This record gives sequence, C-alpha cells and structure tokens, in this order.
Amino acid sequence: MKFLLIAASAVVLTGCISVPVKRNFPEAPKELMTQCPELIKLQDGTTQISEMLKVITENYGQYHECKIKSDQWIQWYNQQKKIFDSVK
Amino acid sequence: MLFIVNAILILGIASSFLTFFVLHRIVRFFPVLINYHLMLQIISAVLLILGVYLKGGYSVEKIWRDRVAELEAKIAVAEEQSKKTNEKVVIEYRDRVQVVKDTQIVVQEKIKEVEKIVDAQCTLADEAVKLHNQAAQSIKGDKK
Repeated sequence: MKFLLIAASAVVLTGCISVPVKRNFPEAPKELMTQCPELIKLQDGTTQISEMLKVITENYGQYHECKIKSDQWIQWYNQQKKIFDSVK
Repeated sequence: MLFIVNAILILGIASSFLTFFVLHRIVRFFPVLINYHLMLQIISAVLLILGVYLKGGYSVEKIWRDRVAELEAKIAVAEEQSKKTNEKVVIEYRDRVQVVKDTQIVVQEKIKEVEKIVDAQCTLADEAVKLHNQAAQSIKGDKK
C-alpha cells in the first residue's frame, strides 16, 4: 500500500512542469543615471548685479536640464512598461 | 522519443484489444492458457495506461515548449524595441539639453553686453547674496 502511494505520488508529481523564461530588466540609459548638480551659489562679497544674473542664468539652465532628465525618465518608463506589458 | 511513446501506445491498444476482445474467446477452449492470458491482459492494460500517460505528458510538454519558444521570440522583439526606445530617449535628451545650453550661451552673451549698464544702475547688497545662497542651498536630510 505504501509502495502504491509513493508510486502514485511520483507519477502525479511528474505532471508538475516549471517553464523557465528569463526576462532581463531593461537597461536605463547612462545619460539619465546621473544626478542633478547642486545649484550654484554667489561668492561672498559679490556686489555686481551682472554676476548675480550670470549665476541665476546658470542655475536656470541646470533646472531645465534636470527637468528634461525627469521628462525623459517618465517617457522611458512609460515606453518600457508598454513594451514589457506587450509580452504575454 | 515520440516514436517510443507512440510505439508503447499502439502496442498497448493493440494488445488490449486482442487480449480483452479476441483471445479470450479462443482461450476458453484451452484452459492451460488461462493463466498466461490473464498475465497478458495485465501487461496489455499496463502498456495501454502507460502509453496514454506518456502520450498525454508528451503533448503537454510540447505545448509548453511551443509556448516557451513563442515567449522567447516575443521577448527578443521586446528587447530590441527596448534598445530602440533607449536610443530614442537619449537622442531626444541630448537634443533638448543642447537647446538649453545654446540658450544659456546666448543669454550669458547678452548679459556681458549689458553688464556695464546693469552694474552702473545698482549694487548688490550682502543680504541679497545671502538670501540667494540660502535659496540655492540644497535641503539637508532629504537624502543620503
């Protein structure tokens, strides 16, 4: 009886099939993997408005670059998700 | 592999048919063969069950293998699309950043042009510098 049970279990377990299908996580572009730089500060003792304008302009530029990076991350994620979900 | 499975199944069907529906009528006239006939029936039944089981297993295995092949093909296409998306995103990123950099250069040039006029009209107080730097200071404790 024991033998029968073991044999039946063994036969039934052969029905368990695992199908390994490997999927790689999409590699993010290295351009987007860099951190946004710190904002530039004015040097102590600066008295010229033009110096301040230059620093502000520089900081605005950094913000815009950072915004573009964020936009591209969103676009990257949405498109990669769409591609990922298409495989079923 | 399929050949062996089919052979077992066909052998099982044929021997079962013979032992259960044909031979038993003949064996009735030869009582000596009854024990052998019973043994043959058991073997035939085992062969038939084994054949059906193996055939079923093989079919399921084939279905899964086909499915895996299909999925792997889809994944290969998806990975290619993923690479193209990366390239597209990077190109778009570079183009947009270039526009920002170009604009910055233009503005910096314009500042240089009006530098003297702007500086002549106003002087920056220390408080303004401090306030600007305070605003530009990154907030500690939000990361790292």
